Amino acid sequence: MSNHEQVEKILRQVRSEPPNMLKTLLALQEQIGYVPVDAIPDIAHSLRTTTTQIAGVLSYYPDLRVTAAGRHVIRVCMGESCYANGCGRLLRVLQDSLRTDVGETTSGGKFTLDTMSCAGNCAVSPTVLIDQDLYGRVLPSQVETMLERYR
Amino acid sequence: MSSATRLYLSNDTSARAAGAGLLADAWAERPEVQLIRLSSRGAFFLEPMVERDSPEGRVAWFNVQPDDLSSILAGVGGTPVRSIPFLANQTRFTFANFGETEPLALDEYQARGGLKGLEEAFRLTPDGIIEELRVSQLRGRGGAAFPVWNKWKVAQQTKASEKYVVANADEGDAGTYCDRMILEGDPFRLLEGMLICARAIGASRGYVYCRQEYPAAAAMLRAAIRKADEAELLDIDGEPFPIEVVEGAGSYVCGEETALLESLEGKRGVVRARPPYPAQAGLYGQPTIVSNVLTFATISQILSRGGTWHASLGTEQSRGTIALQLGGRVKHPGLVEVPFGLSLRQVLDQFGGGMAPGSRFKAVQVGGPLGSLFPSTGLDLPICYDAFAKAGAVLGHGGIVVYDHETDMVDLARHFMAFTADESCGKCTPCRIGSVRGREILERIQAGGGTVDDLALLGDLGETMKLASLCALGGRAPYPVLTAIEHFPAEFRSKLRA
Ligand SMILES: Cc1cc2nc3c(=O)[nH]c(=O)nc-3n(C[C@H](O)[C@H](O)[C@H](O)COP(=O)(O)O)c2cc1C
Ligand code: SF4
Ligand code: FES
Repeated sequence: MSNHEQVEKILRQVRSEPPNMLKTLLALQEQIGYVPVDAIPDIAHSLRTTTTQIAGVLSYYPDLRVTAAGRHVIRVCMGESCYANGCGRLLRVLQDSLRTDVGETTSGGKFTLDTMSCAGNCAVSPTVLIDQDLYGRVLPSQVETMLERYR
Repeated sequence: MSSATRLYLSNDTSARAAGAGLLADAWAERPEVQLIRLSSRGAFFLEPMVERDSPEGRVAWFNVQPDDLSSILAGVGGTPVRSIPFLANQTRFTFANFGETEPLALDEYQARGGLKGLEEAFRLTPDGIIEELRVSQLRGRGGAAFPVWNKWKVAQQTKASEKYVVANADEGDAGTYCDRMILEGDPFRLLEGMLICARAIGASRGYVYCRQEYPAAAAMLRAAIRKADEAELLDIDGEPFPIEVVEGAGSYVCGEETALLESLEGKRGVVRARPPYPAQAGLYGQPTIVSNVLTFATISQILSRGGTWHASLGTEQSRGTIALQLGGRVKHPGLVEVPFGLSLRQVLDQFGGGMAPGSRFKAVQVGGPLGSLFPSTGLDLPICYDAFAKAGAVLGHGGIVVYDHETDMVDLARHFMAFTADESCGKCTPCRIGSVRGREILERIQAGGGTVDDLALLGDLGETMKLASLCALGGRAPYPVLTAIEHFPAEFRSKLRA
């Protein structure tokens, strides 16, 4: 299926009355992994709105992405309870270990490193989320063993 | 299988992050164990916690490792749950079911008093429901602490073809997790509150706007909605009342009620100017009640026990209980439900258990990323809305984060301003521009290039943001920064350029 056909198919699936830009973009991201920028005209057409509106929503929400993420996405919580419990140090250890910066993907596309706001895991902080797995009370010394599972 | 011992283990996200999932995996094949997955009691410093029945009630084992199974099965070394001080000293009403019930067991929910509030709501007239809330003096638990009955009255009296009930499950304040616990652990309590609201204002549809960071909560709530629907509970006076869970996309300001409504409509989550208030013109321009998850969860018992019961708890301006969520460097992080009125010091000592090993107290922040910082000399403040308001502080959503002696206050202040700059919706200038300038100034000070004038500039900037911002993001953002400077001036001065 071409990218265009896949987008059209998803757009048909999520059509709603009234149309909902955010839900549509989240659905595209869920199925494709990101929102292809070249699909914006099709999306706008399907939702009976302008490309500017779609681009506006797409750029507004931190969780919407326009490029594919790595195979595993690692997110370090930067909320205050995690801050108090040393998430800054944790993030630096991850940056060093993966040799990548926040928001970037390792060469080879294995890991994307990112930050997140509170996961509601504050009582068991600091918190690291890898894909769907939430880790609590993470010590910098545990980072390597934690990563091993995904390497 | 009949000889298997029933062991209770929480399935709450934080219990799993602490290791409950590992225990479940390790014991899955053990025929002598029948594992029941419950909500968490919220004593997270003890998780993963495993319980079993005894003639004297539940007995618990703390911070359990897979190898501890044999002693648990032998009954060696457990502690009766009712003698855990962290729990025994609380006044659990809204959180009474936590650690006791399976989240999706509607029969257990009902057996422990659930749905009584809804029954009462069907006996009362809409005016009667709102009157009960007026008597209860319940104020919204999402942050603004507005009287709940007042909002409902406006929505009830506004004529419209459609009205909506929206639960705010965005729980954006870092350091807070009680909404997540309700969504994951006692979801019918939220649904019951929303149904009562729908009956009071005449709403035809409900939404729960859930933050994207809470996937387990959204899944549990969807399952609870299906169960409630099967039990024909999503029905008000013969009319269907469907409830839909909608997930956000990582924007903090989308917890602000008007930005939330924009986001529910699928648009950029930008704050709307008020009035009109959502109760008059909210979702798609129709009267809408937006309330916090904890607020809705409190309502069923106000109807079943009566408004006067609720008003008898707490202090003059702050009736009922508050769900405090301890985090940061306290020894005992977890959920604490107590009547309003204890001092910060009492809470940190009696429940927090003092500082985590190796840590010395430096400051505590109450009310999330927009909340003020208190030094050790500020801990005698009673936890209630009026005392906090008088001190220029907020209770917010009840988050309490303790920072220890290693905290760099300049970096913390920078962290707060960077957060505001990232999250500003951009609608008004003081916040959009002010937060970026504020962050730049703090970065300059942190890098050793700041001057005394920069500190004065931060003060002026903060006052402007407080006075001229459209919503509380810009309006409250200066508080943690300015209280950091106020209470730890030497730290800031020591970093200034000579
Ligand atoms: C920047 C900002 C973020 C907010 N985030 C939340 C939130 O995550 N959850 C919440 O319930 N209220 C939040 N609020 C408060 C809501 O605007 C609103 O007052 C609340 O949902 C009303 O519910 P209540 O009356 O039950 O408190 C936020 C407000 C602001 C200004
Ligand atoms: S204060 Fe900030 S978040 Fe609030 S309306 Fe203004 S720009 Fe938007
Ligand atoms: S502050 Fe990190 S999980 Fe809440």
